[in-house]
Amino acid sequence: MNVPAVHISGLHKSYEDTKALCGVDLTIKDGQFYGLLGPNGAGKTTTIHILTGLVLKNEGITEIYGKDIVKDFRFTRSQIGIAHQELPIDWFFPLEKLLYFHAGYYGITQKKAKPRVEELLERLGLKDKRTSRLRQLSGGMKRRYQLAKALVHDPKILILDEPTAGIDVELRHELWDYLRELHQNGKTILLTTHYIEEAELLCEKVGIIDKGKIIKEGSPADLTRELGKAGINVHITGWNDELKNAFSDYSYTLEDNRLHFTVRDPEEVMASIIQILSNHGCQIHSVSTEKSSLEDVFLNLTGKGIN
Amino acid sequence: MTGTNWVGLYTLTKREVGRFFSVYRQTVLPGLISSGLYILIFGFTLEQRIGEIDGVPYTLFILPGLIMMNTLTNASSNASSSMLQMKLLQQLPDILTAPLSSLELSLAYIIGGTVRGMVNGILVLLLGVLLIDMPVHHPLATLGFIFLVSWAFSSMGLLLGQLADSWDQLAMMQNFFLTPLSFLGGIFYSIKMLPDWAQQLSLVNPIYYMINGLRYTVLGVYDSSPLNSFLMALFMTILFTTAAILLMKSGKKIKQ
Ligand SMILES: Nc1ncnc2c1ncn2[C@@H]1O[C@H](COP(=O)(O)OP(=O)(O)OP(=O)(O)O)[C@@H](O)[C@H]1O
Ligand SMILES: [Mg+2]
Repeated sequence: MNVPAVHISGLHKSYEDTKALCGVDLTIKDGQFYGLLGPNGAGKTTTIHILTGLVLKNEGITEIYGKDIVKDFRFTRSQIGIAHQELPIDWFFPLEKLLYFHAGYYGITQKKAKPRVEELLERLGLKDKRTSRLRQLSGGMKRRYQLAKALVHDPKILILDEPTAGIDVELRHELWDYLRELHQNGKTILLTTHYIEEAELLCEKVGIIDKGKIIKEGSPADLTRELGKAGINVHITGWNDELKNAFSDYSYTLEDNRLHFTVRDPEEVMASIIQILSNHGCQIHSVSTEKSSLEDVFLNLTGKGIN
Repeated sequence: MTGTNWVGLYTLTKREVGRFFSVYRQTVLPGLISSGLYILIFGFTLEQRIGEIDGVPYTLFILPGLIMMNTLTNASSNASSSMLQMKLLQQLPDILTAPLSSLELSLAYIIGGTVRGMVNGILVLLLGVLLIDMPVHHPLATLGFIFLVSWAFSSMGLLLGQLADSWDQLAMMQNFFLTPLSFLGGIFYSIKMLPDWAQQLSLVNPIYYMINGLRYTVLGVYDSSPLNSFLMALFMTILFTTAAILLMKSGKKIKQ
């Protein structure tokens, strides 16, 4: 399909006293795994909420598979399954029943939903919790319930607002595996997260959002290559002034016989640096590289850590 | 999916009804118990000292009022508390992101409250029939009227539930408006027993018409024309249903 799964353009939103979104542009291709990264209050949740009809936009285009989210809300909402950042509380109904309710809201009868509900309970390890109330579940179980709920009507697009917040390492890896599997089976996924590692591992494309605007987009690898600062450390003896000329095109520092080069792609330039050093009679004692991560890119762009 | 999301509407309605049945000790029994107590206290003690009103023994006379009070407080509090609870407990996003129209959402809440109002009203009615052999003059009209009032006050509940931000505000509506207006609407007396000015005042109390109307369908007696009562109930039904649905459509209080 050529129509993008999600298309947002020039999206603006003000709450009473805060401008939350100042012209968000975002396109997600069908089948893509997209990560929205940004510090607290950047506008991630607001963007998602507008897309799913929870928050009213001020202006901008918001389309799901080419259909307007307000005019064609029945179509667009049916395509989306969402796991909200905030966990719900409910003490009236058992978990299983809540899943059937949720399927029902999407027009799926209990009978038709049964195999799907069973499969999700099994897959997400909630089988023996089927009669529990939400308040009896741990935080991790609630997150899994959220995911089951988002998937119960088998949507084409899965939106996850910080799905792994407050989850232990083991469960996080299990969830990642599951998300990869869903993606391989063709689901389009939009994920927001505070764990850069998560975005780096899972997402094909990452958008960095800050102060209500997407300030950079690309694959994690492209972003780190383009914006990250990697380095090469070389421990030498025999520095001389000729080397100053030879390295005039490089950005480096020298301290206690330790050279530090700031480069984009260490693998690419390492050989030539070593070559120049040995040509000028330097003794090389050790070489090491440091690769920049998406985290550094993020820091560079937003000026703050993601947590 | 085009047209109406029937399965969705049915599911949400089922949830609304299931919600109050699952806590029937809070939502069904209290009204039944307090009405039973009124019947016992008035029937066995005070009735001997209070004369008949409009030729009706006192305990019988107050029953339609008790039925109405139960009906309308339960109908209104179901929709209002359910809506507020969903807001406060982060459940609202689940139904707002589903392919349900504002009309479908509103109807589900209103029907939920209507069912609760009717269940409560009819149970007190049965209590009266069983305990004191209350005759029901116009059974169908009685059921129809209980339905209409339940719908009207359930819609009002949905309106209030959307407007409210806290339990405090809902309790205030209940304690400062609904309960006083019910008591002043002539549950325990005929307004003919009041001084002139108080009679006039009663005529602007909508709940007076609800009680008066039901007293007619059950006992066949009334203070003012049953037609007026019916028209008032119809008017409130239309007014509150429209207001609740329009507010839901605008999303003003439930979406930002
Ligand atoms: N209901 C609201 N009323 C007023 N302001 C709001 C509301 N919701 C969000 N905001 C404001 O809008 C901005 C964006 O918030 P949003 O929740 O979209 O950020 P976020 O990127 O999801 O942050 P986080 O990572 O903390 O979840 C913030 O300044 C926030 O204070
Ligand atoms: Mg958020």
